[in-house]
Amino acid sequence: MSFRKIFTPYIHEDKCHSLKFYQGKGGYEQARKALNDWQPDDLIETVKAANLRGRGGAGFPTGVKWGFVPKQSDKPKYLAVNADESEPGTFKDRLIMEKNPHLLLEGIIICCKAVGIHHAYIYIRGEFVFGANRLQNAIDRAYSEGILGENCLGSDFKLDVTVHRGAGAYICGEETGMLTSIEGDRGQPKLKPPFPAVEGLFGCPTVVNNVETLANLPYILEIGAEEYRKIGPENSPGPKLFCVSGHVEKPGVFELPMGVSLRTLIDEHAGGVWKGRKLKAVIPGGSSAHVLTADECDVAMDIESLAAAGTMLGSAGVIVMDETTCMVDALLNIMRFYHHESCGQCTPCREGTGWLEKIAHRIAVGGGRVEDLDLVTEVCDRMVGKTICALADAAAFPAESIVKKFREDFVAAIENGGSPAWVKRHPANTGGAAAHV
Amino acid sequence: MSDSNSTVRWTLNGTEVENEAGMTIMEAAKVHGVDIPQFCYHPGLSIAGNCRICMVESNRSPKPVISCSERIAEGLEIKTQSEVAVDARNSVMEFQLINHPLDCPVCDKAGECVLQDHSYEHGPDRSRFVEDKNIRHTKELGPTIDIWGNRCIVCTRCVRFCDEISGTGELCVVERGDRSVVDVFPGVPIDNSLAGNTVDICPVGALISSDFKYEARVWNMDKTSSVCGGCSRGCNVEVETLDGFVKRLTPRENLDVNDWWMCDHGRYGWRHLYADSRLEGAQHDGQAVSPTGTSGALHQLLSSSSSTAFLVDPFMTCEELHLVRSIANSLGGSTIAGWLPAAGTEENFPGGFKISADKHPNRKGAEHVLGGDLFTTSADQLKSALSNGSIDTLVAFVGGDGFEGAGGEWNDLISKAGKRIVFATQQGSWCEGADLVIPATAPLEKEGVWVNEDDRAQRTRSCRSLTSNHFPSELVVLQELQVHMEQRNRPLSAAGIFRELSEASDAFSGHSHSSLGDSGSPLSQRPAAMSSEGGQS
Repeated sequence: MSFRKIFTPYIHEDKCHSLKFYQGKGGYEQARKALNDWQPDDLIETVKAANLRGRGGAGFPTGVKWGFVPKQSDKPKYLAVNADESEPGTFKDRLIMEKNPHLLLEGIIICCKAVGIHHAYIYIRGEFVFGANRLQNAIDRAYSEGILGENCLGSDFKLDVTVHRGAGAYICGEETGMLTSIEGDRGQPKLKPPFPAVEGLFGCPTVVNNVETLANLPYILEIGAEEYRKIGPENSPGPKLFCVSGHVEKPGVFELPMGVSLRTLIDEHAGGVWKGRKLKAVIPGGSSAHVLTADECDVAMDIESLAAAGTMLGSAGVIVMDETTCMVDALLNIMRFYHHESCGQCTPCREGTGWLEKIAHRIAVGGGRVEDLDLVTEVCDRMVGKTICALADAAAFPAESIVKKFREDFVAAIENGGSPAWVKRHPANTGGAAAHV
Repeated sequence: MSDSNSTVRWTLNGTEVENEAGMTIMEAAKVHGVDIPQFCYHPGLSIAGNCRICMVESNRSPKPVISCSERIAEGLEIKTQSEVAVDARNSVMEFQLINHPLDCPVCDKAGECVLQDHSYEHGPDRSRFVEDKNIRHTKELGPTIDIWGNRCIVCTRCVRFCDEISGTGELCVVERGDRSVVDVFPGVPIDNSLAGNTVDICPVGALISSDFKYEARVWNMDKTSSVCGGCSRGCNVEVETLDGFVKRLTPRENLDVNDWWMCDHGRYGWRHLYADSRLEGAQHDGQAVSPTGTSGALHQLLSSSSSTAFLVDPFMTCEELHLVRSIANSLGGSTIAGWLPAAGTEENFPGGFKISADKHPNRKGAEHVLGGDLFTTSADQLKSALSNGSIDTLVAFVGGDGFEGAGGEWNDLISKAGKRIVFATQQGSWCEGADLVIPATAPLEKEGVWVNEDDRAQRTRSCRSLTSNHFPSELVVLQELQVHMEQRNRPLSAAGIFRELSEASDAFSGHSHSSLGDSGSPLSQRPAAMSSEGGQS
């Protein structure tokens, strides 16, 4: 079976986001079947059998996650759709919400039917004003057409969907951070256990799924778990949106089967490294992933293969850097982000992210010392796995890998009195490194 | 989760141990003498799990786990001294210290600072941090609380206290990452009756009491385990003195009374000890009497009295009241009544803490020693007797913070007695024209037992010293009077008088100062060793 796009086949067509267009392409048929013909347990089993794995970054099997929610609960259950998409280099969910919002809504209906949920929240990144409006319009339309509301698609199933806009914090993309934010508190991750499946939003059992994950569901029902599993590698199958940004000729979102080669993705789909330059480094899964060198790019873009290569698929935000990139500046840029976005709750992350940025900054502006390189690695070691959520890991992974794999850039910056960009702008200051220490 | 009655077998540092199911690793380890360091954990507050200092190695997790929140389970193996655990702790200490100022020499918390202690035990001996430290705000958060933001380690104990215990929610964390710091909303200062506790629970010197700021180095102060006399709750407190002068009060843990907390009325309510109007020496007809001559003068006045009445106050200890009863009995034909201070407002807090409306620490005790109608019928009778001039000599105890005396009505009546002897903490109309004025000890200066509103007997201890007060306490003066009256050979300690009381009174029977200990006991709960009826059958 040849690969068929499910998220982006019509995104260049006029009114592709409208309900009429969506229904014209067979939209909501799978949701209708799910509501009327499917038993909830069969839905969960099918998603398990399809081995759909979360597209938000962690790659957790979606059906298994649903299975953790208690079948009988005297509390309401909730679905929290993670549309906060704030991982640097990632812009795939945005595309779905802006160009194909009804696909997400159909996925939401299927998930809610499977788990027995009657209220879904979509937590959308605050900056996505256009996407939030599109989504809200689609929801309003779905209500007026009887797709959502008291009797979804003519069934006796009730479902409400609420759009909740974020206020710009990266940490609110972390699942429990998102839940506290929806609850109206300061967006900070919560201690686990209890896990959201048992005690999540407002203390009730909650499924947290990414936009792209949910958008897979109609297709799984349409072609069946067996066929779905044939797309891409067995262990992480399915169609996938890859975001390519940085130094390529044709950056963008590409819908391809899971397991496409990173090299093919960059060279063929994204038009290759720009300006005829050579490739230097690639971050394959959003800025939280370990960096890959040009030599390491012959790797399949799926969860298992990238893990074996010492990095991760993450959110599939591929950031390409060409040979002119100074990795000291790259590190500083990334560390500035994590320092700014750490919620400040756990000590290792609160202090570690700031420390890493300060070290990177000092090296970039000519105050670096050779021992700083080991220090970065040790600080990263002391951050990983020691905090409530994974933000500390997300800062430490790129930091330790950039310093390890591009040590020569750092040594050069230390010897030359700063990164090339800094030296170019401040020629008189070079050599005055010690003044900063 | 397993049922609460069952026990769990688990392994702590290689030794198999047993604990009640449901306990956290930290609680269970403590039972076996293994102390795990903590910043954000406080037994009275919810678990935040943010400081990460309590991480230990677990066989159930590839990463170290936090022992404040993880619970023990069958087969769990925890190591607190392994390389992983030690490195985890050291990491947190290094991170905590990189932006923390090295201003211990000018920090009021120094000497009782959790960060200092843990730094000594788990911290590096030098810093690898060569960058500029972060600067955060230093400001007033309320009338009694200041914040030194640079010292804040964002453990959120104070925030959780205001959310969960006082229920006032003034504090919050503002900003993110290493800019995070505790703050209040504009125009909403932290100003609740429990605010002072936030300073106590701050593990660093971030929250500072403006009352105690720069007053003393904590290691120079002497501590006296006592009881607050501010209301009938009887919060257990530590009275901290420098060179004999009180510098601050802090709450002393007692889960049966005040948990870990005390109210600000009690906390800052000790200034009356050093008021200008404080009585320091006895006066007989306007002439100073030496401390050693006080009881003689008292004896002289009483021996010539035809009818004597005693007016006691509910600040007096059970021992003092017992002495008054003995003396009154031996004088013959004398009456005893008591006065009560005006009631305040009762305050209840979501965390279970209560400030009682009754502003007297020992009404219950006085009623046990001197009878249940002491403050009611007896008081009314004494009032009418004083009004119609039938009292020849009145011995009035006007204690407590004393600024208001015994209250307007009593203050007027006191002066109507023929002869007047006044034990008072403060000067006032009740002293004017009195035949004998004897300085009295105030709460925090008394040695003895108070019985709180729940009928719990607790020992209040004196923080007095030679440099702070020169006069003998009522306990001494009244016993010396008994020596003059040939009722007693020599004065005893408060414990000795309490023994006499417990032998004479059913209510106190079986109890002793040593059995009450530091945390007291309900009067109904007789100590096992002393109960003659309950033990043998």
